[in-house]
Amino acid sequence: MADAVFLAISVLTIGSAIAALELRSLIYGSISLMGTLGGVAGYFLLLDSPFVAMFQIAVYIGSIAVLILFTVMLVRRQLIFIKVEDKRRRYAGIGLMLIMMMSLGAIILSSGIKTIQTDAPPVDFRTIGEDFLTYYWPALILMALILASSVIGALTLARREDIENDQRTS
Amino acid sequence: MSAIAPKFRLSYFIKSILDNVFWIVILFTLVGIPVLMVSMFYFPLPVMNEKLTSPYLMLTTLADPSRQIPLLKSVIHSDFFRITAFPGFGFAALLAAATIFIERKMLAKLQLRVGPFYCGKVEGILQLMADGLKLISKEIIIPAKADKPIFWAAPVLFVATAAAFVSLIPVAGGGWVVADIDVGLLAVFAVIGFFPIITVLSAWSANSKYPFIGGIRALHQMISFEIPLILSVLGIVILTGSLNLTEIVQSQIHYWWIVFLPIGAIVFFIAILAELERIPFDLPEAESEIVAGWLTEFSGMMYGLVQLGSYVKLYAFAALFVVLFLGGWNGPMVWPPFPEEIIKDGITMGPITVHLAGLPLLDQQMINDVLWFVIKTMGVIFVILLPRGVFPRIRIDLLLHIGWYKLIGLSFVNIFIALGLLYAGVLGPGGIL
Repeated sequence: MADAVFLAISVLTIGSAIAALELRSLIYGSISLMGTLGGVAGYFLLLDSPFVAMFQIAVYIGSIAVLILFTVMLVRRQLIFIKVEDKRRRYAGIGLMLIMMMSLGAIILSSGIKTIQTDAPPVDFRTIGEDFLTYYWPALILMALILASSVIGALTLARREDIENDQRTS
Repeated sequence: MSAIAPKFRLSYFIKSILDNVFWIVILFTLVGIPVLMVSMFYFPLPVMNEKLTSPYLMLTTLADPSRQIPLLKSVIHSDFFRITAFPGFGFAALLAAATIFIERKMLAKLQLRVGPFYCGKVEGILQLMADGLKLISKEIIIPAKADKPIFWAAPVLFVATAAAFVSLIPVAGGGWVVADIDVGLLAVFAVIGFFPIITVLSAWSANSKYPFIGGIRALHQMISFEIPLILSVLGIVILTGSLNLTEIVQSQIHYWWIVFLPIGAIVFFIAILAELERIPFDLPEAESEIVAGWLTEFSGMMYGLVQLGSYVKLYAFAALFVVLFLGGWNGPMVWPPFPEEIIKDGITMGPITVHLAGLPLLDQQMINDVLWFVIKTMGVIFVILLPRGVFPRIRIDLLLHIGWYKLIGLSFVNIFIALGLLYAGVLGPGGIL
C-alpha cells in the first residue's frame, strides 16, 4: 500500500515538475508547480510527519505558489516570452541534472543511510518544540528576532504616509 | 379538454404507470440487487444473533422492520455516513441552505421589505427550492475565449475545498468528526490557503475584465487577512498546548476562551468576514462596481456550485469560531433522557406491542452536544450576516490598512495577553483555573 502511494506521489511530483518546466503556458506551468509542491507534502505525510506536511501546504502552495501566479498574471505576456530555443542547451541541462542526481544519490547511499532503522516511532512535534525551547534556544531567539524585525518592517511600510495618493481623502 | 395535455386519456395514463412499475421492478431485480450486494461488502456489517451477517442475510433483514434500528445504527457509525451526511458535507449543506433563506428574510426585514413571499404558503419558504430548480435547469454558458479546463474545474474545486474544510470541524464529543487529526488547526490553515488560488484561477480563466479585477481584489484581501487570522488563534494554541480541535474544545469545559482572549476573538471575527468576502469586505463581488466580481461569467449550476461552496465555507468558519472561542459543543444538559419503559416494555398501541431492538438510536449526550453546537453556530452565522444590512462597502486601501496594520498589531497584543496569563500561572498546563 505504502509503496503504491509512494510510486503515485513520485510520478505526480516528478511529472508535474517536468510539466512546470516544459509547458508553454505560464499559468499551467505554475499550476503544475503546485502539483510538485503538493507531492512533496505527500512525502512528508508518508514519513509520518503531518506537522511539516501541513506547513508545506500552507506556506508553499498557499503563499509562494499564489505569489508566482499573481506575478505571472500581472506581467505582460509578450515581454517575457522571447522564444530562444536551443536543443543543445536543453540536452546539456538534462545531462548536467542527471550527473548531479547520480552523484548526490551515490553520496547519500554511501553515507550509511541503509543502516537506519525504519521502524522507529515518528518524532512528535511537541518533542521538537521542547528541544527548541531548551537546547536550541539561541537559534529560536535569533529566528524570533529576524521574524519580528521583518514584521515590524512590513508594518512600517504599511503605515508609510510620505507617498501621497491623489485619490486618498482621509 | 385541458390546455396543458390536450390528448389526455385515463387509459394511457394508467398504462404508462404500469409500464414504469414493470420496468422499475425488473431493473431493481436484475441490476439493483447485485449492485447492493457488491456494495455491501465494503460496509462493516453488524453482528446479529451472534453470527456475522452476510450480504444475503442483510438483504433479508432489510425487509424486516423490527430489525432495522441496529442496521441504521451501524450505518450511522460508518465512515461513509460521516463523510457524506452527518458531521460532513450533508449537514453543512443543509445549514448553508438554511443560511441563504435566513439571510434573505432577515435582510428584507432590516430594510423594511417582505423578502421572498409567494413560493410556498408560509413566508416564501419554498423560494430556495425554486431557486435551486432554476439554477439546475439553466443553460451553462462558457465565454468563447475562456480557458475551458480551469473554468470548468474551478466551481467543483471550490466546493471540494469547502467540503475538506468542513471535514475538519468536530461537531460533538465522542469522535463526531470526519478527520480527527493531530494537527487539525494547521490543516485548517492549509485548506484555507487553497481558496485564493481557486478564486484567482477562475477569475483569470474567464478571460473577461470584471472577473479578473474581482479575482485580483480577492487575492489581495484573502492573502492579507490570512496572517491576522492565523496569528489571532496562536493565543489559544499557547494556552491549550494542542493543535487538535477536539482537544481545544475539551479544554473549554469550564471557561470559554473568548472570556480570556476577547481581542483575539474580535480579530478572528473581522478576518473571517474578509475571508468570506462578506459586506463590508465584499470588494471581490462588488455588484455596483464590477457586476459580480469573479462570479460574473458563471451561469447556471456552475454559479450554483460556487454559491453552495461559499455558504458551506461560511458555515465552516462560523463553526471554527465556535470551536475555538465559544466552547464548541459544551453546554448544560437540556435534552431529556430516552424513556426507559420504551426500551423495557416496547411501544403499546391498542392490542399491539412492538419491541424495538437497539433503542435509543443516538445517546443523550451526543444529541445535547449537537444541539448546543448548532445553536452557537447559527448565532455566529447570524452575527456574520448582520453587517450586510448595516455597513457600506469600504475602500481597498482602507481594507489593506486594517488588515496589515491594525489587525496584525492587535493579534500580537492578544498573543502577549495569552503569554502573560500563561506565565502568571493563571491558565494553561498547571494553572490555577
